[in-house]
Amino acid sequence: MKENLNIDELLNSFIDGELTQRHRTEVQRLISHDPQVAKRLHELQECRMLVSSLPRAEAPADMAERVKASLDAPVFLAEKPSGFDTRRGATYLLVRKVLAAAAMIGLVAVLGVLVYSVLVPERPIEIPMVADDQPDSAPMVEPRPRVVVAEFYGRLELETDDFVAVDASVGRAIRDNGLSDCVSPTRPRDKGLYALSCSREALSLLLADLSSIWQKFDYATLFVETGQFAQQIVVNAVNTEQIGEIVEQDTLEKRTEVAANFALLNNMTELLPGKELFAAINGEEIDLITTVKPVYTSADETTKRLPPLTESGRKVHLTIMIVGSK
Amino acid sequence: MEQLILKYQNRIYNVILKICANPDDAAELTQDTFVKIIENIGRFERRSSFYTWAFRIGVNLTLNYCQRSAKHGFSSLDADDNEHSQHAKTQLKEFLSDDSSPDPAAVAQNKELGEIVVETLMKLDDAQRTVIVLRDIEGMNYAEIANVLGVELGTVKSRLSRARSSLRELLEATLR
Repeated sequence: MKENLNIDELLNSFIDGELTQRHRTEVQRLISHDPQVAKRLHELQECRMLVSSLPRAEAPADMAERVKASLDAPVFLAEKPSGFDTRRGATYLLVRKVLAAAAMIGLVAVLGVLVYSVLVPERPIEIPMVADDQPDSAPMVEPRPRVVVAEFYGRLELETDDFVAVDASVGRAIRDNGLSDCVSPTRPRDKGLYALSCSREALSLLLADLSSIWQKFDYATLFVETGQFAQQIVVNAVNTEQIGEIVEQDTLEKRTEVAANFALLNNMTELLPGKELFAAINGEEIDLITTVKPVYTSADETTKRLPPLTESGRKVHLTIMIVGSK
Repeated sequence: MEQLILKYQNRIYNVILKICANPDDAAELTQDTFVKIIENIGRFERRSSFYTWAFRIGVNLTLNYCQRSAKHGFSSLDADDNEHSQHAKTQLKEFLSDDSSPDPAAVAQNKELGEIVVETLMKLDDAQRTVIVLRDIEGMNYAEIANVLGVELGTVKSRLSRARSSLRELLEATLR
């Protein structure tokens, strides 16, 4: 066997012209004396001819362009990551799982605090009563602290793809609630613009009517004035209950806090999985309202002419703007 | 750069194609070969000729790719699934049993015979197929092959001898 291999090597070297002249002469003598060797030489020559006769292929004509393009971002076919490094892969997956779990725990904790602060009503502070010797017949009447009620200033932007019908519905709701007189007479035709100045109660009734068509709005954003120049709180994906609660707040600080909580809550609810659960907690129906990140907006028409806060009572100044979806 | 590519592209592509047997892969590997050549041309130390250095890069890329393809369980050409026509087999039989020296030009024009040879080449292991391709298709001498593959001259001789023996046996097996 080994002898055959050696003869094959010798014959192949002979075929390929790799032998010295002396070895070549010896092989030629061997071939002429041994028919088996001659036959084997012929077989190997046939093999060589078959392979060397294969047609030559030409490279793609655009090879130079392809190389130039690859030089910008080279990723070699033979070096592309196989994805079979199981150890690194397992470590990577473990780190990802741990990070994901930590992130979820953090989000749930933050959300829990927010939900609690928004949904749980604050208990009134109970002032402890101290027994004294004062006779009941002469109760000391303390002057009741004067509550400063801040008027509400804000703007509600509603976007819908069914502008005509929705605008008509809003207009009808305003008329039905007797708020026609409260609407500013200047009203452009291309958008529904209603500048309301009414009482909180009237607004509550209006919101109750609007809640039935709320799902038709693609976007509902409430801009709440904070009393500070050029700063508003933007509550995206706001619903009628949230508007009512924000408006109901008596002090500007409280209103600002509630609005900010709703802004954060709505945005996080949209971002977190299981948003239906939070919507259910809020008593909402799932709609198509899409949120964006809450921001303090810059100065605009509303904030430039921010009226002074008064003690005049429970008045609401709300501009409702309805626009068609683009 | 363009001159370099134009000078070698067909030869490198042809060798790579005969090793991996897939035109798309061969084109991409040829492209990768030139990218590597251009990126590493500053490291060329002139210990070998530029010609063998360039082919060394191309062959190494191709063999790495073949190893990965084999490991992942797919092959560029599944030779077992190919049924050769009786006509092609007859031609091969005539060729192998012909004691006279056949005309290389006639063999080259026989497309069916060429297909059988390509498929049979793919049944060889990568190392044997590469050495045959470098010798019989690219026409390198043993020293150049040793340089391209980074092996001893004796290794080239023995590997080529085994490769041709195996190829002959496989071609005969095709007829059975």
